[in-house]
Amino acid sequence: MTSGIGLRLPHIAEMVATLPPAGWLEVHPENFLANPHATELLTELSLHYRTSVHTVGVSIGSVTGIDRTHLKRLRILIDRINPILVSGHLAWSTHNGEYLNDLLPLPYDEEALRLIEGHIHEVQDCLGRPYLIENPSSYVGFRTSGMSEVEFLCELVRRTGCRLLCDVSNIYLSAHNMGYDAHTYIDGLPAHAISELHLGGYTPEEDAAKPGAELLIDTHAVPIAEPAWDLYAYALRRFGPKPVLIEWDNDLPPLARLLGEAVRAHQIAAGIIVAEARCAASR
Amino acid sequence: MLPLAEIQLLLRHAVVTGDAAGIAPLLTGGLHAEKRLAIHQRHYETSLVNALLEKFPATAWLVGTTFMIGAARRFVREYPPKVPCIAEYGVGFPEFLAQSPANVPLPYLGGFAELEWHVGSVAIAVDQPAVALQEFYSVVPADLPNITLRLQGGVRYFQASWPVDELMKLYLTDTAPGRFQFEPADVWIEVRGARGEFRINRLDAAEYTFRKTVLEGRPIGDAAERAMDANAAFDPGHALTELIAGGLVTALSRRAQGEEP
Repeated sequence: MTSGIGLRLPHIAEMVATLPPAGWLEVHPENFLANPHATELLTELSLHYRTSVHTVGVSIGSVTGIDRTHLKRLRILIDRINPILVSGHLAWSTHNGEYLNDLLPLPYDEEALRLIEGHIHEVQDCLGRPYLIENPSSYVGFRTSGMSEVEFLCELVRRTGCRLLCDVSNIYLSAHNMGYDAHTYIDGLPAHAISELHLGGYTPEEDAAKPGAELLIDTHAVPIAEPAWDLYAYALRRFGPKPVLIEWDNDLPPLARLLGEAVRAHQIAAGIIVAEARCAASR
Repeated sequence: MLPLAEIQLLLRHAVVTGDAAGIAPLLTGGLHAEKRLAIHQRHYETSLVNALLEKFPATAWLVGTTFMIGAARRFVREYPPKVPCIAEYGVGFPEFLAQSPANVPLPYLGGFAELEWHVGSVAIAVDQPAVALQEFYSVVPADLPNITLRLQGGVRYFQASWPVDELMKLYLTDTAPGRFQFEPADVWIEVRGARGEFRINRLDAAEYTFRKTVLEGRPIGDAAERAMDANAAFDPGHALTELIAGGLVTALSRRAQGEEP
């Protein structure tokens, strides 16, 4: 099974006790760095499952630089559990020694490109591994952006050779919020650079910036919506089979429910592979 | 065009303080894009306030959720996290509560919250193999005062001027006596835990001083001297044996002449 689940602390004891079938497990390392007991359990799980590390605090887009101490702590955890993938976000979250606990937006321009290009090299050098960049969930943009998000990501891949984590749900909700076409966005991404897919739930709320309209919030607190599943299928046809991960971070369901979402992701991928094989055979 | 540094400074200000006037002209998204920044402001505040509420449930029990949320909101605005591990956020919250003007009726609140912080810290620790008493047999008695000890990661020493451990027992046992006599009194507390479990031990002043000094990396001789300052009848040999027998010591090393810990 190539679909995995985001492993959150409330599920970890049950995972260790029952070792249920799961393609792989992805963790936010920041939840483990200061928690020796959880790290001990994660280390045990890493003997049974492939793992990936999805950072939320590296802040690759921060003008005040990358926190080297944090990177060193990440390296220790990464060396301990030997993940198959390490990733982070096209965003920033630290400012002059403060951590703002959110993934904040960036303008898409040459200055940001140069900054992030340097930071990707710095992170990869420090971690000793490729570092995948995830497309963000967006609610605002910047008038100073000289290029689209897809153009920015393509240029980042061209300059650094980095790989991408394509969050399909983020594409769906950002396209809705910012008024662009999600399929065109996926068509514009460099397929060869896509190494992982994410799917997570979003929550609609009234758009304070546009009365009467709806804004989609990346809450990871509800099941994945049907339009995101449809876009996932489209992304699979465009990119081919990729490891896909179900993210559910808030209002966590029972572990079995989360694993059920991963099974659905796997079944969709398997169905597309079979359909494309039949199609190829009939040609 | 504003440089990225200026944009991030304005955005940081908007997220932490809620004042989006500076960044608003730069944003796109809807008719009033700056209103969408409320999503980031809300996430910043709510996620950190919730993190504090999860770390200090006993303190919330003591003061009530409304007071606690208000205090947490003020703390979050005044003291953003310094590191990306939210598990480490809140170490300064007990002191913040102690200094809060709204806290005058509860002079023990800061101490109670500090005890809770220590409980949370030791409960996620992992015990290392303890040193057996036999390992000390090879130490020449004359060298013993220069030996330093490493203690388990899940041990904290904490002094309070109110018996906050008694209050904590009420919380932990979910008891609500009709009347509870609570008077100021110096207490010396050891909080010990690992892998989800913990216990709170009351020590006397000399024992507390000895163990705390050892934990700080000072040699046994220094710890014994300080403990005897607290109580001339303190027995260092017995105290050391108790420390080892309790499984608290994970390593010992000899301090070189003139070496600072």
